[in-house]
Formats: sequence, C-alpha cells, structure tokens
Amino acid sequence: MSWGVRGMTVRFGDHTALEGVSLEVPAGRVTAVVGGDGAGKTTLLRCLVGALAPDDGEVRRPDARRIGYLSSTSGTYPDLTVEENLAFSATAYGISEAETRERAAAFLDRTGLTEARDRPAGNLSGGMRQKLGVIRAMLHRPELLVLDEPTTGIDPVSRADLWWLIARAASEGAAVVLATAYLDEAERASWVLALDDGRALAEGTPDRIAAAVPGTIRTSTARPSGDAARRSWRRGARWRTWSPDGAGDAASQGDPVRPDLHDAVTVAALARELERSDVGGEAA
Amino acid sequence: MIVKEFRQLRRDRRTLAMLIFMPILMLVVFGYAASFDVKEIPVRVLGPAAERVSAVLPDPFAVEDVDPAAGREEAVTALRDGEVPVVFLTTESGLTVLVDGSQLFIATGTKAAVSAIAERAPQGLAVDVEILFNPDLETSAIMVPGLAAMILLFVGTIITSLGVVRERQAGTLEQLAVMPLRPADVFLGKIAPYFVVAALDMVVVIVAGIWLFGVPFRGSVLALALGAVLFLFVTLGLGVLISSVSENQGQAIQLALMMLLPQVMLSGLIFPLSSMPAGVRWIGYLLPLTYFVEIARGVMIRGASILTLWPSYVFLAIFGAVVFGLATLRFRRSLAPAGRRRHEAEPELEAVAS
Amino acid sequence: MTPLAEAARVTRRFAHLVAVDDVDLHVAPREVVGLLGANGAGKTTLIRIMLGLLPPTDGSVRLFGRSPSRETRRRIGYVPQGLGLYDDLTPDENLAFARSVFGGEAGTLPATIRPYAGTLVGRLSLGVQRRVAFAQALAHRPDLLVLDEPTSGVDPLARARLWETIREAADAGAGALVTTHHMEEAEECDRLVVMADGRVVAEGTVAQIVGDTRVAVVHTDAWARAFEALEARGMSAALVGRTLRVPGVDPAEVARALGDVPAEVGEAGATLEERFLQLTLGERGGAAA
Repeated sequence: MSWGVRGMTVRFGDHTALEGVSLEVPAGRVTAVVGGDGAGKTTLLRCLVGALAPDDGEVRRPDARRIGYLSSTSGTYPDLTVEENLAFSATAYGISEAETRERAAAFLDRTGLTEARDRPAGNLSGGMRQKLGVIRAMLHRPELLVLDEPTTGIDPVSRADLWWLIARAASEGAAVVLATAYLDEAERASWVLALDDGRALAEGTPDRIAAAVPGTIRTSTARPSGDAARRSWRRGARWRTWSPDGAGDAASQGDPVRPDLHDAVTVAALARELERSDVGGEAA
Repeated sequence: MIVKEFRQLRRDRRTLAMLIFMPILMLVVFGYAASFDVKEIPVRVLGPAAERVSAVLPDPFAVEDVDPAAGREEAVTALRDGEVPVVFLTTESGLTVLVDGSQLFIATGTKAAVSAIAERAPQGLAVDVEILFNPDLETSAIMVPGLAAMILLFVGTIITSLGVVRERQAGTLEQLAVMPLRPADVFLGKIAPYFVVAALDMVVVIVAGIWLFGVPFRGSVLALALGAVLFLFVTLGLGVLISSVSENQGQAIQLALMMLLPQVMLSGLIFPLSSMPAGVRWIGYLLPLTYFVEIARGVMIRGASILTLWPSYVFLAIFGAVVFGLATLRFRRSLAPAGRRRHEAEPELEAVAS
Repeated sequence: MTPLAEAARVTRRFAHLVAVDDVDLHVAPREVVGLLGANGAGKTTLIRIMLGLLPPTDGSVRLFGRSPSRETRRRIGYVPQGLGLYDDLTPDENLAFARSVFGGEAGTLPATIRPYAGTLVGRLSLGVQRRVAFAQALAHRPDLLVLDEPTSGVDPLARARLWETIREAADAGAGALVTTHHMEEAEECDRLVVMADGRVVAEGTVAQIVGDTRVAVVHTDAWARAFEALEARGMSAALVGRTLRVPGVDPAEVARALGDVPAEVGEAGATLEERFLQLTLGERGGAAA
C-alpha cells in the first residue's frame, strides 16, 4: 500500500504555496522532501496528514489512527513530563498501557532520554525535545510517519539518534517521509523530492538526481566573469560554474567535477532563477 | 531607542487600543457612572392611606404604583421579587417603610429621606423603617454574591483563554488536529477543567461568605446553580473566542482585560445601576455580568425564585448560546481543515494505480 | 600579525560544571573559522567569553590585541541565532536603529533585497531575514564577524549566496568565527575547531580532521533484517539510502553479526559527521556509536 499525493495545489489568497506537486511515499522506505524556507515543504506535509485541505489534487493516507505526525512547530507539551507526553499520545491513539511502556522505555533508552523521564518537556534541550516528539509520533506503530523538519537546528548527536528512530520506523514497515533543509540528510533517503517556491525542482533517488544534471559543472579558484558569473556559486574555497550545454564558453575555466545532490539542486534552482529573469534571453 | 520603541508601539494595535480605550472607560465611569447617590427611588404605596400618602411623597421617591387594597404580604413579595426597592405600607395609625436591604445605597438613602419625613409628620403618626433581607445593611451581604460573579467571570474568561492560547503557542494545536480525536472531544476536554475550577471557586466563596460573614442564603440552590451554569457558558465562550483571535498569552490577557474591566465597572457590581444616568445605564444592561449579579443577589439575599428573575435567566441563556456557539465554530475551524475542498480521495483499501 | 580574536587557555567554571576547559582559539584576518560542537560542548559559552560578555575563570581573551571593552564591541559584527532583528520593524528601520547604536554610515541592503526594505521583518521569508541580519551586522564595517548558525534552514542556492557575503567580508580583511551544527556549513570554513565537553578535540581542515578514519558499509536489499541483526548485537547502524554504515566496528565483525542475512560488507572513508560523532561520543567515554 503506497501513500502519497498527486497534483497537489494549495493557494493562500493570491500566494501559491504548492503547484501540481506529486509524491509517492512507499512503505518501509524513507522519503525526503527538501527545500529552503518557503519552498512548500510544510504545506505539502500538512496536506498529506489532513491538517490542511488542498485546492486541487488527491491525497492517499491511512485513517488518523495509523498516522504519526510531528509538526515543525512542536510535538510536545512543555508543561507535561516526558512520560506524561507519551501517556497522552498513547491514550489518544488507543494503544495499551503495557505495550506502550515497553516500547517507550526501549526508545527512551536508546536515545538517552531515560534519565529525563520525569522532566517537563519544556526543560529539555532542543535535541531531546525533538527526539521525544519523534518517539511520540511513532509510538503507536503508524503506517505513515510524517516528520516536518525534525532535525533543523539540533545538535549532531541528537540528529544521529533521531535517524536511528527514523530507520527503526522504516524497518518496522512504516512509510516515512521527512522534510529537511539539509541536502546531506536528503542524501540518506531512498527517494528525494526537491521543492522550490511551491514547485517540484527535481525528484528521484539521490544518485539519479545527481546524474541527471544537464551540461557540466566546473570548479575554479577564481570567480568567473561576464556571463558565466550568473551561473556560478561558491562552495567551500572554490567557485563552481555551470555550463548548461556542456561546451566550454570562453569564460568558463576550471576542472569538471561529478555533480552530487547538492550541485543538482543548486543547478535546478539557478536554472529556474535564470528563466525567471531572462527576458526572452539566450537559449540555455 | 526612543524612536524604535515608538515605531514598534505604533504597530501594536492591541496596546494602542488599550491606551485609548482605558482612559475613555475611566472617564465614563468616574464621570458619569461612579456614584453612590441615588437620585430617584421608585416606590409603591400600599394600604388604606395609600392615596393620601402618595400625593405628598417628596423626592427622591417616585411613586410608580398605588394599591390601597394590598397589605404587608404583597409588599414583601414585591420586594423579594425585585419589583421595587421600597414600599410604603400605610395603616390607619402609621406608616411602615419596607426597604430591600440588598440595595445598600437605596436603603441608606431611603433611611435618610424617611427620617426627614418623620420630623415633619403630624404628631401621633408612627413612621417606621423596616429593612428586609439585610437588616444591618452589611456590605458583605451584597459583595459576596458579587464576588462569586467575578470569579466565574475571571476564571471563565482570562484563565480559559490563556489555557487555549497556550496550546496554540506551543504549536500543539495542529498535532491535535491530526490525532484521532473528534473536535468536540478536544473542545470539551479543554474547557471542562476550567468549568469545574470556576464552579468550585464560587462554592468556596459562597460557603465562606455564609459561615464567616453571615451572608444569608435564602433562595434555592438550584436557582443559583442554574444561573451560574448559564453565566459560565457565556464566560467560557468568551474565553475561547478571545483565544481564537490571540496568538500568544500576552495578547489574550490584553483582550480579556478590555472585556472585563467595563463589565466590572458598569454592571452594578460596585456602583449601583440606579445611580447611573440613563445615558450610561443602558451599557450595563448589555453586559452579561449585570444579569448574573442580579440573580446572585436576588437568590441569596432576597430569596427570589427562578420564575421572578426569569428575564435575567433568559438573557444569559441567549447570550450564552450565541457566544458559546460562535466559540465552538471558531474552535472547530482551527482544528479541522476548513471544509474548503472537494477532490479528496481517501480510499484505504483502494488499489493504487501508480 | 595580531589575530583579531585570541583565546588562550580559556577555562570557565560554573558551580558544578566546567563549561570550557583549557581552550586555545584564534581568528586571523581574512580567515573563516568554524566552531563545531554538540549541545553542551561549550561553544556558546566560549563565544560569549570571546565577545566579552562573560569573563573567563582562567586564561585570557584578546580582541584586536586588547581586552574586551565597549570599544572592541564596535568592531564586531554579531549575528545571533535568532537574527537579532525586530519583527515589528522594517529592514530600513532595523538598520537605522543599528546605525544609531554603532555609529557609522547607513548600512545598505543588497540590491536583491531592497524591494523588501519597507516590509515588516516578521513577514519576510527566512532567507531574506538572514540577508537583512547580515546587512545589519556588516553595516559598520566590523573587523570581526561572529555568526551563530548563519545558514540554518536555508536552501542551497541561498546558502551559497549568504556565504559569498561572508567571503567578501573576509576578502576585504575581516575575520569570521562561525558556529555550526551542520556539516554542510562546516565545509565552507577555512579551518575547523571541534569541541566536545568543553575541550578542543580536533582542529584543522575537514580532510585533516577526518584523516583516514573508515567505516564498515553494508550493501543489502534486506536492510530491515540487517538492521535488526546488528541491533541485536549492540551495533548501531546508520541508514544511508539503502546501505547501512556501522562506524567503530571492524567489517569482519559486522559480517559475523549479520549471520545469514544476504549482504556485502565493505569499507569506506568516514564522513565529517561520522568522525565528529566519534570524537564527541569518544570524549564522553561511551562506546563510539
């Protein structure tokens, strides 16, 4: 059974948050929706779980009892302790006390939260709170686990623990979809959808997206001049320049590199930007 | 710093509203409403000498009915039912002025006016003032019911709105929307504790009033309870409505205060309605608190019944239905996706054509 | 050449806790130094000490060759994680406020965000907000930039643009100290300082820090079974795409743990993140992963 959305379009007044976006979320795998702030990730995930009704398009999701959701704003009640937060969730989803206790204990232990059991969630660090939020969302073994930017702003150790939870959920057969602004995370998923300004920028497995970059990318230590400057960006100590048609222009120098996911998404965003600003401009 | 602060203030509409609204309110209240002097006291004159006496009654008494055939029983009933605050009961040999002791300032005003009359009365005519329901004119008698009303108001409005806004601030409202909980469950679950707390608080205050201050409780508990429940619907509804237009606790408190202060000042809780000029008094008649104070005082001090106080109950019921109804609607909308759309295929068992 | 900022043997103790332990750090002109560390590693405390907001218990801090003072503050451009902008003012108004505090000429918004100059900051997207915050920090031409998680939450193209701004400032002679949680950002710096439990545990370029650490990599279709099998033996596997990476364990042992689960076990160079975790968790005395 595969969940997902097809042709999703959402408008808020005259702002289009999502336009014709489709995404499949297969069971037992991790799918990543990647994009910057305002790209439409949260809107897409909210439509998927039913917190928002789209203007157009189709949603396939299991019933509320079999969905686990962690919103980007929070997942936990700051005035309740870790245990109380989990207990509330357990009751709301109708799972038995005994089962919850064991499962929760195992997860809390694995993510280093056992000592904080009786601490109010508001007193936890950001990383611990997010871990609690994910545990809460997957406690009832949902078929569809949706996490909105679970790792933004949290420390690397908590992030590693969080990914363990994600892997665990997927290994239990859940269809896991997570939104992230980080490409190195998206690279860990088995399928990536990159969004930019409400539209799909690229999709596929990380390798396939990287391989599908048209033209070539070259790196150089000096900033390219002239027209090539519009197609360059800085990465680390060097500049990268994209030549859409592969052939070297006079201005592009440097050694070609094999593009990775980061490059692919950057190029796609660049291409869109150039398209928008070109006034009937040169054929790419 | 100064420039920056002013710029930010200019954009903070709620604070600006308070800055403008508060002085105006204070002006109205202290200019017009805040007065303990009663200018006009409606009275009935009963008994054999009614016609004669009513013809010569001076200000501030304003005769609204004369009934020679009525006697003491009718007088007490009229007072208990809140129909008039003062009844002149005439007999062959004298005059008894029966006064509703739950209307403190009218009572003191009446006492003073009657002693002036007594001085000018012909010899042999006995003029007597009898204060019913609250013979010692204790302030606590009328304050305690008022306090009970204030508690319901505060807990219902401020505390409830804070509780609901906290959910929105923490970002957990959206989570609730996605859980397998019905909107009704969430709504009732959120306000039930405040209902219980408010009711308990009120009971404690009333019991303390009775035991510690000797405040009477002459009427039926049911009458008071019914009034309290209806009033709670109004205040809880207001609390939820306030939270639905507030993004954080600070805003909720500001709005709640703006709704509470006028009610406390103009509902007859502190300053009697009868001493406000008509131009300001009508505001009091629009406020739910006015009606519950009426009910609380009437039931506790005078022993009035539901039947005689029915206009207050009806007003509260209607107001409550409207406010609570609106609150439910708004809350529901913040939980469920606004039934905006079509095109939502949710087949759980449908085979998916990829 | 005097470093712009220098911490020598800085230690900071709180009641029961040593937040910063004997740390040396310096930022020279024209370089971008990244400070990488987990929560509680002491990064924030160290930054506050270096900004002059907190005195060290031991050791010394020098800013522009002198002790921290109000004068040195004028030469620093600081962008905290919360951006330090007023949501209910416009970018122009924010810049005006900063100008009146720091003195100097009017900060200008970069051409690309000038259209937003009159919109309330609270209504702008995160990417634009960050650019406004940068413009504000750079307006008084500081010699030292201190940036806390400067590009968190921003898409790759916008991140590249933000980093161009940082680089331009560095090329013009300023130095930058950047704290970060994210490896993508760490890779943009010239040099990294990795902290764990208040101490510096590694220093250098990414390549130097990673060295030749290697991890075992499991290629398999039955990844869920492999995951369970490794878990059962107390080995934490990280899911990456369709492979499992097991740091800190010999590939032969991994193969043994997998038992009869069909899989190929190989080896690969560690990523910066894996090396970082190893350094952090190792410092805590716990088993790596």
